[in-house]
Amino acid sequence: MKKLMLVFVVLFFLLPGCGAKEGEMAGQPHEMTEHEHADVKVTKHFDDSLTKLTDNNLYSLELVIPDKHLKMGVNTVEIIVHHSTGGDVAEAELSVTPWMPSMGHGVMQKPVVMERGGGLYSVENVVLSMTGHWQLQVKVAKNNKEDTAVFDFPEVKAMGHEHAMMHAPPPQDIDYATEKMTANNSYKVMYQSIGGPIRINRIHSWELKVTDADGKPVNDAKVTVVGDMPEHGHGLPTQPEVFTMAADGLYRIDGMKFQMPGWWVVTISIMAEGGHDSVSFNLNVL
Amino acid sequence: MQNCFNRFIGATIGLLFLLIGIPSQDCAWAMDQHTWTSQEKVVLRSLWLGSLGPLPVDPSNKYSDNARAAALGRKLFFEDKFSGNQKVSCATCHREDYFFTDNLPLSHGMATTPRRSMPLIGVAYNSWFFWDGRTDSLWSQALGPIENKLEHGISRTMSAYIISKYYREEYKEIFGELPDFMEDAFPQHARPAHDDPDALKAWVLMTPEQRADVNRVYVNMGKAIAAFVRTILPQPSPFDHYVEQILSEESMTNRMALTDDEARGLRLFIGKAKCTNCHNGPMFTNSDFHNLGLQAKNDKKKDTGRADAITQVLSSEFNCFGKYSDANPDECLELRFIETSEEKYVGAFKTPTLRSVTERPPYMHAGQFATIREVLEFYRSKASNPELGHDKLTDEELGLLEAFLHSLSSPVTSLQEEVRNR
Repeated sequence: MKKLMLVFVVLFFLLPGCGAKEGEMAGQPHEMTEHEHADVKVTKHFDDSLTKLTDNNLYSLELVIPDKHLKMGVNTVEIIVHHSTGGDVAEAELSVTPWMPSMGHGVMQKPVVMERGGGLYSVENVVLSMTGHWQLQVKVAKNNKEDTAVFDFPEVKAMGHEHAMMHAPPPQDIDYATEKMTANNSYKVMYQSIGGPIRINRIHSWELKVTDADGKPVNDAKVTVVGDMPEHGHGLPTQPEVFTMAADGLYRIDGMKFQMPGWWVVTISIMAEGGHDSVSFNLNVL
Repeated sequence: MQNCFNRFIGATIGLLFLLIGIPSQDCAWAMDQHTWTSQEKVVLRSLWLGSLGPLPVDPSNKYSDNARAAALGRKLFFEDKFSGNQKVSCATCHREDYFFTDNLPLSHGMATTPRRSMPLIGVAYNSWFFWDGRTDSLWSQALGPIENKLEHGISRTMSAYIISKYYREEYKEIFGELPDFMEDAFPQHARPAHDDPDALKAWVLMTPEQRADVNRVYVNMGKAIAAFVRTILPQPSPFDHYVEQILSEESMTNRMALTDDEARGLRLFIGKAKCTNCHNGPMFTNSDFHNLGLQAKNDKKKDTGRADAITQVLSSEFNCFGKYSDANPDECLELRFIETSEEKYVGAFKTPTLRSVTERPPYMHAGQFATIREVLEFYRSKASNPELGHDKLTDEELGLLEAFLHSLSSPVTSLQEEVRNR
């Protein structure tokens, strides 16, 4: 028993290690900013931001999370790009990639970067599809000078659900709507399970209806589905398939299965003429 | 309410007025253990044996509900001839007197295997078979151990020969004609083996027609065994009687089927301890695979569990899509939608049923724990894992959970000998 525990403790420290060689964890912003400031003489714009030097020391990045913590689901963050020698960097090309190092995958949804001026960039649509260890890889390019920094978040949790109990009702602000607009209001998506209410441990099918913002059916979208259990950090036990019915904006998802009771989040991503957008539905599986 | 009232009256009359205070207090407390919210009742009903429903149809086995096939399957299940030493049958590791599993940490057929024998109670309700789910039907599962060197240690040609020699008439009645498989025409030890070059060579040297003949009999043998194993079912346990009492609400006039401690354990089981994350439904399993971070003792080449089984079941000639399956491909739902990301399932093993669990130690996929208490202690030690989080349980609470698990014990029924002639 003791040996096993030891293995786990060791694993725990090894896992986040790959992305966080500098030993900078999101959990200890103060310690690390002081340390960096001594080196790079950058004045932080925000007190509670996380900072990070890029790999080749070209830039110092300041990451601000308005909601304080990244959470499972859709996040918005702000990034201020400083020269490593001081001074803000405007008109840079920024790309941000969420990554799960232990799983070796990212997400299909691409964060949207907008420059706000004065070296400030806002990054929307940072979708973290599950709980667990995430990284944000930030690439900065300007005048052919490119450099990258990785921010590490060892424990991304589901919003306000850290101590949720089995069968406890999810937080009150969670809605179980079966019809919703996508995150960027590009599409409206409605789902229903075919053949009655959803039952645990049964493979079943869903019907989706997708319309654009004006209510016109979208028939030729590429639709993908991801199911996740926020409290457990795992997904569906199946790989569902989506088919277009080629009329009325209807799609059929076969192979849905929920193997645990409780709160599930099913994220539907739509890629069509209106762009790439996604929507997350909450479900309470009994 | 009535129950309380009765107890109250009984206590007052029986023990005079002196004790009025005590029974009423006792009652309030006892009431509390047996009062469930409507949401909790939904969960209790979902775990109740009455929610199990009829045996699921196995579209890949058209004989699965054939009584004669089941009767033949029962004989084959107990047949020692299907083994390299004439001493090993399915029942060696799936003992009828031990809830169709055995009492060893690692099962022993011809030699010691790397895993524990799976309990067969209600096994037909599973989506996948074996600890790692490397087959998608009960009949293909039944064929695996026969050709495994550590288990029965024979071949499909030998199996076909034994069927043709000892079970010929019964076989013919169900499945039709079969060749003799005599030694001069058919090799006795031929199989498409990766671990036995001689048997593989013998198999390859057979004609395609011979291989098809052998496979057909071998598959039918699996289908007959599956028809029997499907009949291994749990009877209602004290827990099931308790749920009936709670749901019917006539409960309060009767003695409750669970003691107060067992009911408290049940409350933990579906609540704080979160056991129903995985042990859900009337068979107390979600039939899915989970990595508990638990390796077998002395396991040098780490058992990767489900991860390696994914390609095995997809490539198996005996899967639901294969030519020996009776299913229309549309009916092979589990295989069609199988999650193929191996990394998700490294070291993951199937959630076993908890029916009669306290009657059949040891526990886990390699018998790592000798007692239920050790299992509960183990889960408590994993409290920080989001998937295994069972919250902070006290010693007393572990005791209550253990008490509750005892209430899942019940006799197991299976098709008996006499049904054979039906």
